[in-house]
Amino acid sequence: MTIAQPSDVRTALSRTIVGQHGVVDALLLALLADGHVLLEGPPGLAKTLACRCLAAALQGEFKRIQFTPDLLPSDIVGTRIFDQHEAAFATVLGPIFANVVLADEINRAPAKVQSALLEAMQERQVTIGPQTHPLPDPFIVMATMNPLDAEGTYALPVAQMDRFLMKINVGYPGPEEELEILERFAIAHTQPLRDVASLDDVRAWRARVQAVHVDAKLKAYIVALVSKTRDAGDVSVTGSDGNARRVADCIAYGASPRATLALTHLSRARALLDGRDFALPDDVRAIAPNVLRHRVGFNYRLPADGIAPDRAIDALVAAVPAP
Amino acid sequence: MQSFALNADTGAPRVDVPFHLVVALRVRERVAHIDNLELPMLAELELLGDERRLQTGPQGTLYNETVTVVAHHGGILTIGPALLQAVDTRDRRAKQYSTNGLTLQIAGAPPSFGGVEEAAQRFSSAAFRLALIAFGIACAIAVIGFVVVRRRSPVAAVVEDVPYEPIASRPPRSMDDELRDALRVLRAEPSQANAVLVRALVWCMLGADAGRTLTDVLQRPEAAEPVMRDVLRSLERAAFTYDGDVPAALDGARDALERYLEVRAT
Repeated sequence: MTIAQPSDVRTALSRTIVGQHGVVDALLLALLADGHVLLEGPPGLAKTLACRCLAAALQGEFKRIQFTPDLLPSDIVGTRIFDQHEAAFATVLGPIFANVVLADEINRAPAKVQSALLEAMQERQVTIGPQTHPLPDPFIVMATMNPLDAEGTYALPVAQMDRFLMKINVGYPGPEEELEILERFAIAHTQPLRDVASLDDVRAWRARVQAVHVDAKLKAYIVALVSKTRDAGDVSVTGSDGNARRVADCIAYGASPRATLALTHLSRARALLDGRDFALPDDVRAIAPNVLRHRVGFNYRLPADGIAPDRAIDALVAAVPAP
Repeated sequence: MQSFALNADTGAPRVDVPFHLVVALRVRERVAHIDNLELPMLAELELLGDERRLQTGPQGTLYNETVTVVAHHGGILTIGPALLQAVDTRDRRAKQYSTNGLTLQIAGAPPSFGGVEEAAQRFSSAAFRLALIAFGIACAIAVIGFVVVRRRSPVAAVVEDVPYEPIASRPPRSMDDELRDALRVLRAEPSQANAVLVRALVWCMLGADAGRTLTDVLQRPEAAEPVMRDVLRSLERAAFTYDGDVPAALDGARDALERYLEVRAT
Protein backbone atom coordinates (compact mmCIF):
# COMPACT_ATOMS: atom_id res chain seq x y z
CA MET A 1 0.00 0.00 0.00
CA THR A 2 1.43 3.35 -1.02
CA ILE A 3 1.38 6.27 1.37
CA ALA A 4 -0.57 9.26 0.08
CA GLN A 5 1.40 12.42 -0.63
CA PRO A 6 0.15 16.03 -0.66
CA SER A 7 0.81 16.14 -4.40
CA ASP A 8 -1.70 13.27 -4.85
CA VAL A 9 -4.43 15.53 -3.48
CA ARG A 10 -3.34 18.32 -5.81
CA THR A 11 -3.53 15.96 -8.78
CA ALA A 12 -6.96 14.73 -7.71
CA LEU A 13 -8.30 18.26 -7.25
CA SER A 14 -6.97 19.29 -10.64
CA ARG A 15 -8.98 16.49 -12.23
CA THR A 16 -12.19 18.07 -10.98
CA ILE A 17 -11.39 21.77 -10.93
CA VAL A 18 -10.41 23.28 -14.24
CA GLY A 19 -7.57 25.78 -13.94
CA GLN A 20 -7.50 27.73 -10.67
CA HIS A 21 -4.13 26.18 -9.86
CA GLY A 22 -3.42 29.08 -7.51
CA VAL A 23 -6.55 28.34 -5.49
CA VAL A 24 -5.89 24.60 -5.35
CA ASP A 25 -2.29 25.13 -4.25
CA ALA A 26 -3.32 27.75 -1.70
CA LEU A 27 -5.87 25.39 -0.14
CA LEU A 28 -3.29 22.64 0.10
CA LEU A 29 -0.61 24.96 1.50
CA ALA A 30 -3.02 26.25 4.14
CA LEU A 31 -3.94 22.68 5.00
CA LEU A 32 -0.27 21.71 5.37
CA ALA A 33 0.65 24.84 7.31
CA ASP A 34 -2.39 24.49 9.59
CA GLY A 35 -3.87 27.86 8.67
CA HIS A 36 -6.97 29.41 7.12
CA VAL A 37 -7.55 31.01 3.74
CA LEU A 38 -9.48 34.05 2.57
CA LEU A 39 -10.62 33.82 -1.04
CA GLU A 40 -11.74 36.95 -2.84
CA GLY A 41 -13.33 36.74 -6.24
CA PRO A 42 -16.58 37.06 -8.17
CA PRO A 43 -19.22 34.32 -7.86
CA GLY A 44 -19.04 31.22 -10.02
CA LEU A 45 -15.32 30.62 -9.90
CA ALA A 46 -15.39 27.17 -8.26
CA LYS A 47 -14.49 28.40 -4.79
CA THR A 48 -17.14 26.24 -3.13
CA LEU A 49 -16.39 23.29 -5.40
CA ALA A 50 -12.69 23.46 -4.49
CA CYS A 51 -13.46 23.41 -0.76
CA ARG A 52 -15.96 20.57 -1.11
CA CYS A 53 -13.52 18.53 -3.20
CA LEU A 54 -10.73 19.07 -0.70
CA ALA A 55 -12.90 17.74 2.11
CA ALA A 56 -13.96 14.76 0.01
CA ALA A 57 -10.39 13.98 -1.00
CA LEU A 58 -9.36 13.85 2.66
CA GLN A 59 -12.41 11.88 3.84
CA GLY A 60 -13.17 14.85 6.05
CA GLU A 61 -16.43 16.51 7.02
CA PHE A 62 -17.43 19.58 5.02
CA LYS A 63 -19.81 22.33 6.22
CA ARG A 64 -20.85 25.51 4.51
CA ILE A 65 -22.07 28.62 6.32
CA GLN A 66 -23.70 31.33 4.24
CA PHE A 67 -23.02 34.63 6.02
CA THR A 68 -25.98 37.03 6.02
CA PRO A 69 -26.70 40.27 7.92
CA ASP A 70 -29.10 38.50 10.30
CA LEU A 71 -26.73 35.64 11.18
CA LEU A 72 -26.02 35.15 14.91
CA PRO A 73 -22.87 33.79 16.57
CA SER A 74 -24.88 30.84 17.87
CA ASP A 75 -25.74 29.93 14.26
CA ILE A 76 -22.04 29.24 13.77
CA VAL A 77 -20.67 27.84 16.99
CA GLY A 78 -23.82 26.22 18.41
CA THR A 79 -26.14 26.84 21.31
CA ARG A 80 -27.79 25.30 24.36
CA ILE A 81 -31.45 24.37 24.14
CA PHE A 82 -33.77 23.22 26.86
CA ASP A 83 -34.78 19.56 26.55
CA GLN A 84 -38.24 19.25 28.05
CA HIS A 85 -38.07 15.46 28.35
CA GLU A 86 -34.81 15.52 30.26
CA ALA A 87 -35.61 18.84 31.94
CA ALA A 88 -32.05 20.00 31.26
CA PHE A 89 -30.10 22.09 28.81
CA ALA A 90 -28.47 20.20 25.92
CA THR A 91 -25.73 21.52 23.68
CA VAL A 92 -26.24 21.59 19.93
CA LEU A 93 -22.95 22.07 18.11
CA GLY A 94 -22.91 24.47 15.19
CA PRO A 95 -21.67 23.96 11.63
CA ILE A 96 -18.18 25.08 12.58
CA PHE A 97 -17.55 21.57 13.90
CA ALA A 98 -16.22 20.16 10.65
CA ASN A 99 -12.82 19.55 9.10
CA VAL A 100 -13.34 21.90 6.18
CA VAL A 101 -15.61 24.90 6.77
CA LEU A 102 -16.60 27.23 3.98
CA ALA A 103 -17.58 30.66 5.33
CA ASP A 104 -19.30 32.06 2.27
CA GLU A 105 -19.32 35.85 1.89
CA ILE A 106 -17.91 36.42 5.35
CA ASN A 107 -18.19 40.19 4.99
CA ARG A 108 -22.00 40.05 4.82
CA ALA A 109 -22.35 39.32 8.54
CA PRO A 110 -21.85 41.91 11.29
CA ALA A 111 -18.65 42.15 13.31
CA LYS A 112 -19.85 40.07 16.29
CA VAL A 113 -20.52 37.07 14.03
CA GLN A 114 -17.21 37.50 12.23
CA SER A 115 -15.36 37.68 15.52
CA ALA A 116 -17.09 34.51 16.78
CA LEU A 117 -15.78 32.64 13.76
CA LEU A 118 -12.32 34.18 13.87
CA GLU A 119 -11.97 33.48 17.59
CA ALA A 120 -12.77 29.83 16.94
CA MET A 121 -10.22 29.82 14.10
CA GLN A 122 -7.55 31.13 16.43
CA GLU A 123 -8.35 29.17 19.59
CA ARG A 124 -9.34 25.92 17.85
CA GLN A 125 -12.08 25.49 20.43
CA VAL A 126 -15.54 26.85 21.17
CA THR A 127 -17.09 27.58 24.53
CA ILE A 128 -20.86 27.12 24.74
CA GLY A 129 -22.27 27.80 28.16
CA PRO A 130 -20.05 26.18 30.78
CA GLN A 131 -18.46 23.70 28.38
CA THR A 132 -15.51 24.08 26.03
CA HIS A 133 -15.57 21.95 22.91
CA PRO A 134 -12.38 21.38 20.89
CA LEU A 135 -12.75 21.70 17.13
CA PRO A 136 -11.90 18.72 14.90
CA ASP A 137 -8.31 18.21 13.80
CA PRO A 138 -7.51 19.05 11.05
CA PHE A 139 -9.66 22.15 10.94
CA ILE A 140 -9.46 24.62 8.10
CA VAL A 141 -11.69 27.58 7.32
CA MET A 142 -12.00 28.93 3.83
CA ALA A 143 -13.74 32.26 3.86
CA THR A 144 -14.88 33.96 0.68
CA MET A 145 -15.52 37.60 -0.11
CA ASN A 146 -17.28 38.95 -3.17
CA PRO A 147 -15.65 42.20 -4.35
CA LEU A 148 -18.56 43.15 -6.64
CA ASP A 149 -21.50 43.79 -4.28
CA ALA A 150 -19.95 46.05 -1.68
CA GLU A 151 -23.25 47.48 -0.44
CA GLY A 152 -24.44 46.14 2.91
CA THR A 153 -21.13 44.52 3.73
CA TYR A 154 -19.03 44.79 6.88
CA ALA A 155 -15.32 45.11 6.19
CA LEU A 156 -13.20 42.71 8.20
CA PRO A 157 -11.15 44.48 10.89
CA VAL A 158 -7.37 44.52 10.41
CA ALA A 159 -6.71 42.30 13.43
CA GLN A 160 -9.11 39.68 12.08
CA MET A 161 -7.73 39.77 8.55
CA ASP A 162 -4.32 39.08 10.06
CA ARG A 163 -5.57 35.70 11.29
CA PHE A 164 -5.91 34.38 7.77
CA LEU A 165 -2.69 32.77 6.70
CA MET A 166 -3.25 33.80 3.10
CA LYS A 167 -5.56 35.85 0.96
CA ILE A 168 -6.05 34.60 -2.57
CA ASN A 169 -7.46 36.66 -5.40
CA VAL A 170 -9.50 34.28 -7.55
CA GLY A 171 -9.53 35.37 -11.16
CA TYR A 172 -11.60 34.40 -14.18
CA PRO A 173 -10.43 31.39 -16.19
CA GLY A 174 -8.81 31.83 -19.58
CA PRO A 175 -10.75 31.04 -22.81
CA GLU A 176 -9.23 27.54 -23.10
CA GLU A 177 -10.01 26.74 -19.48
CA GLU A 178 -13.54 28.02 -19.88
CA LEU A 179 -14.01 25.79 -22.92
CA GLU A 180 -12.83 22.83 -20.87
CA ILE A 181 -15.28 23.80 -18.10
CA LEU A 182 -18.05 23.84 -20.69
CA GLU A 183 -17.18 20.37 -21.97
CA ARG A 184 -16.54 18.84 -18.58
CA PHE A 185 -19.60 20.22 -16.77
CA ALA A 186 -22.01 19.88 -19.69
CA ILE A 187 -22.17 16.20 -18.76
CA ALA A 188 -24.68 15.49 -16.01
CA HIS A 189 -22.15 14.77 -13.31
CA THR A 190 -18.47 15.36 -12.99
CA GLN A 191 -16.06 12.58 -12.10
CA PRO A 192 -16.57 12.01 -8.36
CA LEU A 193 -13.45 12.59 -6.30
CA ARG A 194 -12.37 9.47 -4.46
CA ASP A 195 -10.82 9.35 -1.03
CA VAL A 196 -7.26 10.24 -1.95
CA ALA A 197 -5.87 10.57 1.54
CA SER A 198 -7.05 10.41 5.13
CA LEU A 199 -7.10 12.86 7.99
CA ASP A 200 -4.28 10.85 9.57
CA ASP A 201 -2.24 11.51 6.43
CA VAL A 202 -2.84 15.23 6.90
CA ARG A 203 -1.56 15.07 10.48
CA ALA A 204 1.53 13.16 9.28
CA TRP A 205 2.17 15.74 6.52
CA ARG A 206 1.97 18.54 9.05
CA ALA A 207 4.62 16.84 11.17
CA ARG A 208 6.84 16.59 8.09
CA VAL A 209 6.27 20.27 7.29
CA GLN A 210 7.62 21.19 10.71
CA ALA A 211 10.82 19.28 9.89
CA VAL A 212 11.47 21.07 6.59
CA HIS A 213 14.74 23.01 6.82
CA VAL A 214 14.71 26.79 6.45
CA ASP A 215 18.23 28.11 5.99
CA ALA A 216 19.45 31.13 7.98
CA LYS A 217 19.85 33.09 4.71
CA LEU A 218 16.21 32.40 3.95
CA LYS A 219 15.05 33.49 7.40
CA ALA A 220 16.92 36.77 6.94
CA TYR A 221 15.21 37.17 3.56
CA ILE A 222 11.78 36.62 5.11
CA VAL A 223 12.44 39.21 7.80
CA ALA A 224 13.71 41.67 5.17
CA LEU A 225 10.56 41.16 3.10
CA VAL A 226 8.25 41.87 6.01
CA SER A 227 10.38 44.82 7.14
CA LYS A 228 10.12 46.28 3.64
CA THR A 229 6.35 46.63 4.11
CA ARG A 230 7.02 48.86 7.12
CA ASP A 231 9.88 50.86 5.64
CA ALA A 232 9.57 50.76 1.87
CA GLY A 233 12.46 53.16 1.26
CA ASP A 234 12.49 54.46 -2.29
CA VAL A 235 10.48 51.65 -3.89
CA SER A 236 8.16 53.14 -6.48
CA VAL A 237 5.39 52.12 -8.88
CA THR A 238 4.04 53.93 -11.90
CA GLY A 239 0.68 55.63 -11.44
CA SER A 240 -2.08 56.02 -14.01
CA ASP A 241 -0.58 59.40 -15.03
CA GLY A 242 2.71 57.71 -15.90
CA ASN A 243 4.58 59.26 -13.00
CA ALA A 244 6.44 57.22 -10.41
CA ARG A 245 4.83 57.16 -6.99
CA ARG A 246 6.77 56.20 -3.84
CA VAL A 247 5.11 53.16 -2.25
CA ALA A 248 6.17 54.38 1.18
CA ASP A 249 3.85 57.37 0.79
CA CYS A 250 0.91 55.05 0.11
CA ILE A 251 1.35 52.63 3.03
CA ALA A 252 -0.76 53.22 6.12
CA TYR A 253 0.63 50.25 8.07
CA GLY A 254 2.96 47.34 7.36
CA ALA A 255 2.70 43.63 7.98
CA SER A 256 2.83 42.20 11.50
CA PRO A 257 5.26 39.55 12.82
CA ARG A 258 2.45 37.09 12.12
CA ALA A 259 3.35 37.60 8.45
CA THR A 260 6.92 36.53 9.21
CA LEU A 261 5.66 33.33 10.80
CA ALA A 262 3.19 32.74 7.98
CA LEU A 263 5.92 33.12 5.34
CA THR A 264 8.11 30.64 7.18
CA HIS A 265 5.35 28.04 7.65
CA LEU A 266 4.11 28.38 4.10
CA SER A 267 7.59 28.19 2.55
CA ARG A 268 8.05 24.93 4.45
CA ALA A 269 4.67 23.69 3.23
CA ARG A 270 5.45 24.64 -0.37
CA ALA A 271 8.77 22.80 -0.19
CA LEU A 272 6.99 19.66 1.02
CA LEU A 273 4.34 19.99 -1.67
CA ASP A 274 7.19 20.13 -4.17
CA GLY A 275 8.80 17.02 -2.66
CA ARG A 276 11.71 18.79 -0.94
CA ASP A 277 12.82 18.76 2.68
CA PHE A 278 14.43 22.21 2.47
CA ALA A 279 12.90 25.54 1.49
CA LEU A 280 14.20 27.77 -1.30
CA PRO A 281 13.99 31.52 -2.01
CA ASP A 282 11.51 30.62 -4.76
CA ASP A 283 9.13 29.25 -2.11
CA VAL A 284 9.20 32.50 -0.18
CA ARG A 285 8.85 34.70 -3.23
CA ALA A 286 5.98 32.65 -4.65
CA ILE A 287 3.85 32.90 -1.51
CA ALA A 288 4.83 36.41 -0.42
CA PRO A 289 2.03 38.28 -2.28
CA ASN A 290 -0.61 35.94 -0.83
CA VAL A 291 0.73 36.44 2.68
CA LEU A 292 1.25 40.21 2.50
CA ARG A 293 -1.78 41.22 0.41
CA HIS A 294 -4.22 41.49 3.33
CA ARG A 295 -1.67 42.51 5.93
CA VAL A 296 -0.43 45.74 4.37
CA GLY A 297 -2.79 48.71 4.63
CA PHE A 298 -2.75 51.38 1.95
CA ASN A 299 -4.04 54.92 2.28
CA TYR A 300 -6.10 56.95 -0.19
CA ARG A 301 -3.09 57.82 -2.37
CA LEU A 302 -2.89 54.36 -3.94
CA PRO A 303 -6.39 54.28 -5.46
CA ALA A 304 -6.14 58.00 -6.18
CA ASP A 305 -3.14 57.27 -8.40
CA GLY A 306 -4.90 54.36 -10.06
CA ILE A 307 -2.47 51.80 -8.63
CA ALA A 308 -3.78 48.34 -7.77
CA PRO A 309 -2.65 47.18 -4.29
CA ASP A 310 -1.18 44.01 -5.78
CA ARG A 311 1.17 46.07 -7.95
CA ALA A 312 2.48 47.85 -4.89
CA ILE A 313 2.94 44.52 -3.09
CA ASP A 314 4.76 43.07 -6.10
CA ALA A 315 7.05 46.12 -6.18
CA LEU A 316 7.86 45.67 -2.48
CA VAL A 317 8.61 41.97 -2.96
CA ALA A 318 10.76 42.63 -6.03
CA ALA A 319 12.75 45.29 -4.17
CA VAL A 320 14.14 42.80 -1.67
CA PRO A 321 16.97 40.78 -3.25
CA ALA A 322 16.64 37.05 -2.72
CA PRO A 323 19.66 35.33 -1.13
CA MET B 1 31.71 48.45 -14.26
CA GLN B 2 34.36 48.23 -16.96
CA SER B 3 36.52 45.44 -15.61
CA PHE B 4 36.87 43.42 -12.45
CA ALA B 5 39.68 40.85 -12.38
CA LEU B 6 41.82 38.80 -10.05
CA ASN B 7 45.44 38.11 -11.07
CA ALA B 8 48.64 36.80 -9.53
CA ASP B 9 52.01 38.38 -10.24
CA THR B 10 53.42 34.95 -10.97
CA GLY B 11 51.95 31.94 -12.67
CA ALA B 12 54.09 29.52 -10.67
CA PRO B 13 54.71 30.65 -7.11
CA ARG B 14 57.11 28.69 -4.94
CA VAL B 15 56.74 27.37 -1.43
CA ASP B 16 57.74 29.94 1.21
CA VAL B 17 58.32 32.63 -1.40
CA PRO B 18 55.93 35.57 -1.06
CA PHE B 19 53.89 36.59 -4.10
CA HIS B 20 51.08 39.01 -4.83
CA LEU B 21 47.43 38.65 -5.70
CA VAL B 22 45.96 41.72 -7.37
CA VAL B 23 42.26 42.58 -7.51
CA ALA B 24 41.76 45.27 -10.16
CA LEU B 25 38.48 47.10 -10.52
CA ARG B 26 37.71 49.78 -13.07
CA VAL B 27 34.45 51.76 -13.14
CA ARG B 28 33.29 54.68 -15.25
CA GLU B 29 32.14 56.74 -12.29
CA ARG B 30 34.32 58.75 -9.93
CA VAL B 31 33.95 57.12 -6.54
CA ALA B 32 35.70 58.12 -3.32
CA HIS B 33 35.88 54.66 -1.78
CA ILE B 34 35.12 50.99 -2.48
CA ASP B 35 33.28 49.46 0.46
CA ASN B 36 31.78 46.12 -0.37
CA LEU B 37 34.68 44.24 -1.89
CA GLU B 38 34.94 40.70 -0.57
CA LEU B 39 38.28 38.97 -1.12
CA PRO B 40 38.33 35.23 -1.84
CA MET B 41 39.12 32.79 0.95
CA LEU B 42 42.87 32.35 1.28
CA ALA B 43 42.83 29.64 3.93
CA GLU B 44 45.79 27.76 2.43
CA LEU B 45 47.98 30.86 2.26
CA GLU B 46 49.60 33.01 4.91
CA LEU B 47 48.57 36.64 4.60
CA LEU B 48 51.54 38.98 4.82
CA GLY B 49 50.09 42.32 3.79
CA ASP B 50 47.26 44.15 2.03
CA GLU B 51 47.68 47.38 0.08
CA ARG B 52 44.79 49.35 -1.45
CA ARG B 53 45.11 52.05 -4.06
CA LEU B 54 42.35 54.21 -5.50
CA GLN B 55 42.88 56.44 -8.49
CA THR B 56 40.24 58.67 -9.99
CA GLY B 57 40.44 60.56 -13.21
CA PRO B 58 38.28 61.94 -15.97
CA GLN B 59 37.73 58.45 -17.34
CA GLY B 60 36.61 56.94 -14.08
CA THR B 61 38.08 55.16 -11.11
CA LEU B 62 40.74 52.49 -10.91
CA TYR B 63 40.98 50.48 -7.71
CA ASN B 64 43.79 48.02 -7.03
CA GLU B 65 44.06 45.84 -3.96
CA THR B 66 47.35 43.97 -3.70
CA VAL B 67 47.47 41.13 -1.21
CA THR B 68 50.88 39.74 -0.33
CA VAL B 69 50.71 36.05 0.51
CA VAL B 70 52.99 33.07 0.91
CA ALA B 71 52.27 29.35 0.47
CA HIS B 72 53.82 26.82 2.82
CA HIS B 73 52.80 23.70 0.90
CA GLY B 74 53.27 22.66 -2.71
CA GLY B 75 50.57 21.47 -5.11
CA ILE B 76 47.59 22.93 -6.96
CA LEU B 77 46.02 25.93 -5.26
CA THR B 78 42.54 27.05 -6.26
CA ILE B 79 41.44 30.55 -5.34
CA GLY B 80 37.78 31.51 -5.69
CA PRO B 81 36.56 34.78 -7.18
CA ALA B 82 36.50 38.13 -5.36
CA LEU B 83 33.00 39.57 -5.01
CA LEU B 84 31.67 43.10 -5.08
CA GLN B 85 28.22 44.26 -4.06
CA ALA B 86 27.40 47.57 -5.71
CA VAL B 87 24.51 49.61 -7.01
CA ASP B 88 24.33 49.66 -10.80
CA THR B 89 23.89 53.33 -11.75
CA ARG B 90 22.02 52.37 -14.90
CA ASP B 91 19.02 50.87 -13.16
CA ARG B 92 19.74 51.74 -9.49
CA ARG B 93 19.61 48.07 -8.48
CA ALA B 94 21.94 46.33 -6.08
CA LYS B 95 24.03 43.73 -7.90
CA GLN B 96 26.81 41.33 -7.13
CA TYR B 97 29.82 41.19 -9.42
CA SER B 98 32.57 38.61 -9.30
CA THR B 99 36.05 38.24 -10.71
CA ASN B 100 37.52 35.15 -12.28
CA GLY B 101 38.99 32.47 -10.01
CA LEU B 102 42.63 31.43 -10.08
CA THR B 103 44.38 28.08 -10.15
CA LEU B 104 48.06 28.18 -9.30
CA GLN B 105 50.66 25.43 -9.27
CA ILE B 106 52.76 25.93 -6.15
CA ALA B 107 56.21 24.58 -6.91
CA GLY B 108 58.11 22.63 -4.23
CA ALA B 109 60.75 24.01 -1.86
CA PRO B 110 62.53 27.28 -2.72
CA PRO B 111 65.85 26.92 -4.49
CA SER B 112 68.50 25.70 -2.07
CA PHE B 113 72.01 27.10 -2.34
CA GLY B 114 73.56 24.95 0.45
CA GLY B 115 76.19 25.97 3.00
CA VAL B 116 76.72 29.69 3.38
CA GLU B 117 74.06 30.54 0.82
CA GLU B 118 71.47 28.49 2.73
CA ALA B 119 72.37 30.24 5.98
CA ALA B 120 72.13 33.57 4.23
CA GLN B 121 68.78 32.54 2.81
CA ARG B 122 67.50 31.60 6.26
CA PHE B 123 68.86 34.84 7.65
CA SER B 124 67.25 36.88 4.92
CA SER B 125 63.94 35.05 5.47
CA ALA B 126 64.08 35.79 9.18
CA ALA B 127 65.08 39.37 8.48
CA PHE B 128 62.17 39.65 6.05
CA ARG B 129 59.74 38.42 8.70
CA LEU B 130 61.20 40.80 11.28
CA ALA B 131 60.90 43.66 8.81
CA LEU B 132 57.30 42.71 8.15
CA ILE B 133 56.50 42.64 11.87
CA ALA B 134 58.15 46.04 12.31
CA PHE B 135 56.22 47.31 9.31
CA GLY B 136 52.97 45.99 10.77
CA ILE B 137 53.61 47.71 14.12
CA ALA B 138 54.46 50.95 12.33
CA CYS B 139 51.25 50.71 10.31
CA ALA B 140 49.18 50.11 13.45
CA ILE B 141 50.74 53.16 15.14
CA ALA B 142 50.12 55.23 12.02
CA VAL B 143 46.47 54.14 11.86
CA ILE B 144 45.89 54.93 15.55
CA GLY B 145 47.56 58.32 15.09
CA PHE B 146 45.46 58.97 12.01
CA VAL B 147 42.24 58.13 13.84
CA VAL B 148 43.18 60.40 16.76
CA VAL B 149 43.99 63.28 14.44
CA ARG B 150 40.74 62.78 12.51
CA ARG B 151 38.71 62.86 15.72
CA ARG B 152 40.35 66.09 16.80
CA SER B 153 39.91 67.93 13.53
CA PRO B 154 37.67 66.38 10.91
CA VAL B 155 38.85 67.15 7.42
CA ALA B 156 37.18 66.58 4.11
CA ALA B 157 38.24 63.40 2.34
CA VAL B 158 40.71 64.11 -0.44
CA VAL B 159 40.59 61.81 -3.40
CA GLU B 160 43.83 61.51 -5.27
CA ASP B 161 43.29 62.77 -8.79
CA VAL B 162 45.96 61.20 -10.95
CA PRO B 163 46.15 60.70 -14.67
CA TYR B 164 44.29 57.67 -15.90
CA GLU B 165 46.64 54.80 -16.65
CA PRO B 166 45.17 51.96 -18.66
CA ILE B 167 46.21 48.56 -17.37
CA ALA B 168 47.08 45.68 -19.59
CA SER B 169 44.22 43.20 -19.61
CA ARG B 170 44.57 39.47 -19.92
CA PRO B 171 42.71 37.62 -22.65
CA PRO B 172 39.11 37.05 -21.55
CA ARG B 173 38.40 33.72 -19.90
CA SER B 174 35.63 31.57 -21.24
CA MET B 175 32.62 30.49 -19.22
CA ASP B 176 33.94 26.94 -19.26
CA ASP B 177 37.25 28.11 -17.75
CA GLU B 178 35.34 29.75 -14.94
CA LEU B 179 33.27 26.63 -14.36
CA ARG B 180 36.38 24.45 -14.29
CA ASP B 181 37.77 26.74 -11.59
CA ALA B 182 34.49 26.54 -9.72
CA LEU B 183 34.62 22.75 -9.89
CA ARG B 184 38.16 22.81 -8.51
CA VAL B 185 36.99 25.01 -5.63
CA LEU B 186 34.19 22.57 -4.80
CA ARG B 187 36.61 19.64 -4.98
CA ALA B 188 39.35 21.30 -2.94
CA GLU B 189 37.12 22.76 -0.26
CA PRO B 190 33.62 21.27 -0.33
CA SER B 191 31.46 23.44 1.88
CA GLN B 192 28.06 25.09 1.74
CA ALA B 193 29.74 28.53 1.78
CA ASN B 194 31.69 27.64 -1.37
CA ALA B 195 28.53 26.29 -2.97
CA VAL B 196 26.93 29.69 -2.36
CA LEU B 197 29.94 31.39 -4.00
CA VAL B 198 29.87 29.08 -7.01
CA ARG B 199 26.11 29.58 -7.31
CA ALA B 200 26.64 33.36 -7.40
CA LEU B 201 29.39 32.92 -10.01
CA VAL B 202 27.22 30.76 -12.28
CA TRP B 203 24.28 33.15 -12.00
CA CYS B 204 26.54 36.07 -12.83
CA MET B 205 27.89 34.21 -15.88
CA LEU B 206 24.35 33.60 -17.08
CA GLY B 207 23.66 37.32 -16.83
CA ALA B 208 21.22 37.02 -13.93
CA ASP B 209 21.15 39.82 -11.41
CA ALA B 210 21.98 39.03 -7.82
CA GLY B 211 18.77 38.95 -5.84
CA ARG B 212 16.79 36.92 -8.35
CA THR B 213 15.42 33.46 -7.60
CA LEU B 214 16.13 30.17 -9.33
CA THR B 215 12.87 30.40 -11.27
CA ASP B 216 14.00 33.74 -12.73
CA VAL B 217 17.36 32.29 -13.76
CA LEU B 218 15.82 29.16 -15.28
CA GLN B 219 13.69 31.37 -17.52
CA ARG B 220 16.77 32.94 -19.10
CA PRO B 221 17.70 31.64 -22.57
CA GLU B 222 21.27 31.10 -21.33
CA ALA B 223 19.94 28.45 -18.96
CA ALA B 224 18.03 26.53 -21.62
CA GLU B 225 20.44 23.57 -21.83
CA PRO B 226 19.28 20.67 -19.63
CA VAL B 227 22.80 20.12 -18.27
CA MET B 228 23.01 23.76 -17.19
CA ARG B 229 19.58 23.53 -15.55
CA ASP B 230 20.88 20.54 -13.60
CA VAL B 231 23.87 22.62 -12.48
CA LEU B 232 21.60 25.43 -11.32
CA ARG B 233 19.22 23.13 -9.46
CA SER B 234 22.00 21.17 -7.78
CA LEU B 235 23.77 24.35 -6.65
CA GLU B 236 20.48 25.69 -5.28
CA ARG B 237 20.06 22.53 -3.25
CA ALA B 238 23.67 22.69 -2.00
CA ALA B 239 23.21 26.33 -0.98
CA PHE B 240 20.00 25.89 1.02
CA THR B 241 19.74 22.32 2.23
CA TYR B 242 20.20 21.16 5.82
CA ASP B 243 23.60 20.22 7.26
CA GLY B 244 23.08 16.46 6.99
CA ASP B 245 22.33 16.71 3.28
CA VAL B 246 25.17 19.11 2.39
CA PRO B 247 27.77 16.42 1.45
CA ALA B 248 25.33 14.64 -0.87
CA ALA B 249 24.19 17.97 -2.31
CA LEU B 250 27.80 19.00 -2.96
CA ASP B 251 28.43 15.66 -4.67
CA GLY B 252 25.42 16.35 -6.83
CA ALA B 253 26.66 19.84 -7.69
CA ARG B 254 30.12 18.54 -8.63
CA ASP B 255 28.60 15.77 -10.77
CA ALA B 256 26.34 18.27 -12.52
CA LEU B 257 29.27 20.61 -13.22
CA GLU B 258 31.35 17.71 -14.55
CA ARG B 259 28.51 16.58 -16.80
CA TYR B 260 28.07 20.10 -18.10
CA LEU B 261 31.77 20.44 -18.90
CA GLU B 262 31.83 17.01 -20.56
CA VAL B 263 28.88 17.90 -22.75
CA ARG B 264 30.48 21.23 -23.65
CA ALA B 265 33.78 19.50 -24.49
CA THR B 266 32.04 17.16 -26.91
